[in-house]
Amino acid sequence: MSASTGLAVRSLRNIRRLPSAFLPALLMPVFQVVSFSGTYAGITAIPGFPTDRSVNWYLPMAVTMGASFAGLGTGFSMIRDLQTGFYDRIRMAPASRRDILLGPYLAAWTRAVIAVVLVTVVGFALGARPEGNPAAVLSLFVAGIGVATIGTGWGLGLAYRFKDMRAAAIMQLTLFLGLFLTDAQTPIDIMTGWLQTVATWNPLTRVLHVARLGFVEGGSIGDLVLGLIVMIVLGSLAWLFAFTGLRRLDD
Amino acid sequence: MSTATAQQLVALSKRSVQSILRQPSVVVPSMVFPLFFVALGTSSFGRAISIPGFPVVDSFLDFALAGSVVQGVLFGSITSATALATDIETGFFDRLLLTPSPRVGILVGRLAGAMVYGFAQTVFFVVVLLPFGLSIKSGVLGLIAMMVGGLLTALAVGAVMSAMALRTGSSEAVQGSFPLLFVLLFFSSAFFPRQTMDGIYRRIADLNPVSYLVEGFRSLTIGDLSTVAVAQTIAIPAAIAVGGLGISMRSLRRRVAAS
Amino acid sequence: MTTLLSDTSAPIVAVGLERTFGSGERAIRAVDGVDLSVEPGEIFGFLGPNGAGKSTTVRMLTTLLRPTGGSAKVAGFDVATQSDEVRRSIGVALQDAAIDPLMTGAELLHLQAVLYGLPKADHTARVGELLERVGLSAAGDRRVGTYSGGMRRRLDLALALIHEPSVLFLDEPTTGLDPMSRMALWDEIRRLNNDGTTVLLTTQYLEEADQLADRVAIIDHGRIVSRGRPDELKAAVGAPTLFVAVDPAQVNTASEVLTRFGELRPTAEGTLGVGLAEGAAGVSAVVRALDDAGIGVHHLELNAPSLDDVFADATGHRLEGAS
Repeated sequence: MSASTGLAVRSLRNIRRLPSAFLPALLMPVFQVVSFSGTYAGITAIPGFPTDRSVNWYLPMAVTMGASFAGLGTGFSMIRDLQTGFYDRIRMAPASRRDILLGPYLAAWTRAVIAVVLVTVVGFALGARPEGNPAAVLSLFVAGIGVATIGTGWGLGLAYRFKDMRAAAIMQLTLFLGLFLTDAQTPIDIMTGWLQTVATWNPLTRVLHVARLGFVEGGSIGDLVLGLIVMIVLGSLAWLFAFTGLRRLDD
Repeated sequence: MSTATAQQLVALSKRSVQSILRQPSVVVPSMVFPLFFVALGTSSFGRAISIPGFPVVDSFLDFALAGSVVQGVLFGSITSATALATDIETGFFDRLLLTPSPRVGILVGRLAGAMVYGFAQTVFFVVVLLPFGLSIKSGVLGLIAMMVGGLLTALAVGAVMSAMALRTGSSEAVQGSFPLLFVLLFFSSAFFPRQTMDGIYRRIADLNPVSYLVEGFRSLTIGDLSTVAVAQTIAIPAAIAVGGLGISMRSLRRRVAAS
Repeated sequence: MTTLLSDTSAPIVAVGLERTFGSGERAIRAVDGVDLSVEPGEIFGFLGPNGAGKSTTVRMLTTLLRPTGGSAKVAGFDVATQSDEVRRSIGVALQDAAIDPLMTGAELLHLQAVLYGLPKADHTARVGELLERVGLSAAGDRRVGTYSGGMRRRLDLALALIHEPSVLFLDEPTTGLDPMSRMALWDEIRRLNNDGTTVLLTTQYLEEADQLADRVAIIDHGRIVSRGRPDELKAAVGAPTLFVAVDPAQVNTASEVLTRFGELRPTAEGTLGVGLAEGAAGVSAVVRALDDAGIGVHHLELNAPSLDDVFADATGHRLEGAS
C-alpha cells in the first residue's frame, strides 16, 4: 500500500466514524434533485426548453453539487487535522509530497462516486431518463469526478493557507456562488439579464454541460471537449493551489 | 407592568437584537441569501411568468419577493431560539432566574428581538429591491400589512422553536431542526406557483401552511389591497404565534419549576 | 560554519539557527542563533519556559518548519535541503500527542508504517510489538479518543519508533501527566537510550532534565544561555541557596542583611534567596543577623543547587512557578 492509499483509507474510515460530517453533504444534493424537479416542474413549458422532464434538467446539477461537496468535505477534514496537530505527523513522514496530497484526492473521488451513484438512483426513481443513449449516465460520473477534483484542490489549498474555519466558510461560499452562477436553474437561452452573461463565461457552466450530455437536447462532442478542457485546466490549477499551500506549511 | 419590569424587558430585547446583528453567520443566510436567490431567480425565470398556471405578474421579481421575505424571516428567527438554548447551556438562564426580574423576561426578550429583526428584514428586502423594479400593488397599506406579517412570522417561528429550546436546553437540537424549515419552504409555493406543480408535489404544497403564508404576502405584492390577502398575511402567523406562545410558556414554566 | 557542520559525526548539529515570524517592524525572532551539538547515544535536555523557542527549534530540526537563518544537520543530513533523508532517520513525539481521536491505536500505527514505507509483510508484527512495548496491547483496537493522557503519550512514543529511528525527538513528552505515568515514560526513554538511540528532549520540568539528560542546554528568549552536564552546571552555581520568607514590609531591610552573607539570587515572589558560600554551617549566622535587625522570619529553607538555580543564574528569573 502506498502512502496515498493509506491516507485515503484513513479518510474514508473516518467518515464512517463521523457520519455527522458526511451525511449532510450526501443528503443535500438528494434534497436538491427532489425539490428542484418538483418545485420547478413547470419550467419545461417555457418554449425552447431542451427537455420535457424537469428532473432531466436538475439531476445533472444535483450530481455536480454533490460531487463538489465531496471535495469540500476533504477540505473540512484537512482543517480538523491541521487544528489537532495530526497533520504535523503526516508531514513528517518521508513520503513524497505528491503522495501526501494524492491521499485526500483519492478519498474525495471515492466520496464523489458515492454521491453521484446515490443522486442518480434517486433521479431515476423520480423519472430521469437519458434521451437516446443510456451511456449518457457516464457523463454524470465524468463531470462528478471533474468537479470533485477542482473542489478538492480548492478546499485543500484554502485549508493549508488559513488553517481554521475561515477556510471552510470561503470554500462553501465560493463553490456555492460558482455553481449557482451557471445555467444551474435554467438554460442560458431562456435567461434574461445579467445572469446570461455571467453564466456564459463561468467555466463551471461547461462542466455542467458535460453532466447534462444525453439528458437534454442539443449536447455535442464540442460540449464534451470544451468541458473536459475546463476540468483539466481548473483541476490542474486547483492541484497547484493545493500543492503550493502544502509547501507553505513549512514556512 | 411596572416601569422596572418594562426596563428589564427592553434591556433583554436590546441584548437579543444586538446578538443577532453581531453574528455574520446569522445575517448572511437571513439577509444576503434570500436576496441572492431573488436576483438569480429573476434572471433565470424571467420567461417563466408566461407559462400556463403562472399568476399575472409584471415581472418574476414581484412574484419572488414574498418567498424571499418568508425565507429570510424563517432563517432569522431560528437564531433567536438557538440563542435561548445557548443561554440555558451557558448558565445565563439560571443567573437570570436568580435576579428579581420576571421569569418570562428571557423568553420575551428573545422573541422581541426576533420580531424586531423580522420587521427590519421585510423593510430591508423591499427597500433593496425597489430600485430593481419591484412594485407593491397594494400600496402603502399593503406594505404595512406585510411588515406586520413579517414581524408576526418571526414571532410564530421563534415561539415554536423556543419551546423546543426550553424543552431540550440544547442549541444543537434547535439547529438540527434547520433542515426541517428548509423542507417546509421548498415543498411550498415559496419559489414557484402551486398551480404549475403536479402530482405529489402539488398535494404537499396544497397542504403546506407555508404556501398560504407566502401567498398572502404575494397577493399584496402583485394584486390590489384585499381583506383576504391582509388576513392571510397577518392571521396565519398570528394563529401559529398564539399556539407557539402557549407551548413555549408551558415549557418555560416546566423548566423554571425543574431548576 | 559549513566546515563545522560537515566535520562532525554528531547526530544533531545546529549552527546559528534562526527563525523569524512575520516581517518588518512586527517581526518576532523566536529562535535567535542557536548552536547545538548532540553526541551519539546521549540524552540531551533542552530546557526553557513556554515561548522560549524550544518547540520552534524542534520544529526546524524535524523538518516541519524552514529555518530563516543558520543551518542544521540531523543524522548527517541537512534539514533544509535533505528533508526526506532526515525524516527517514528521526522519530518524533509531538507536544500534546497530536493524534486523530477517531482512529484506533493499531490503525494509527499501521498508517504510520505505510507512511514510512515499511514492507507490508512486517506491518502487523511491528504494530503488535510496539503496542506491547508501550503497554497498549489490550487497548490497541480502541479508538484513541477513549485513551487517557498517559496512554496517548505512550502511543505517541510508539508511533515515533515505527521505523527504528536512530535519533528521537521528544517535545515535552510528560507535560500534563501524573507522576506515575511520567515515571513509566522516563523508564521507557532510558531503555531506548540504552539501546543506542540518541534523544533530544525538550521540557519545562527541571527534574525531568536532571533525571534523564546527560547534558542540557537552557534556552531563553530564543538564545541558549547556558549549557553543560547538569552536575557541572550545578557546581558552577556553587553555593546552596537559602530561601527566606519575611514580612513584605521588611523585604528591603532583609535583603540588606542577606547581602552580607553572599550574592542575592532571583526567587519567586514573596521570598528572598541568597547563595550561602559556607553552606549549611552559615545558616545560624544568617538567622542571628535577621533577628538582630528585628526581622521576623516566616519560613526558612536551604536548597542544594538545582537546575533551577542554574536557570535563575543564567536568565535572572526562575523557571518553576513561572508557568
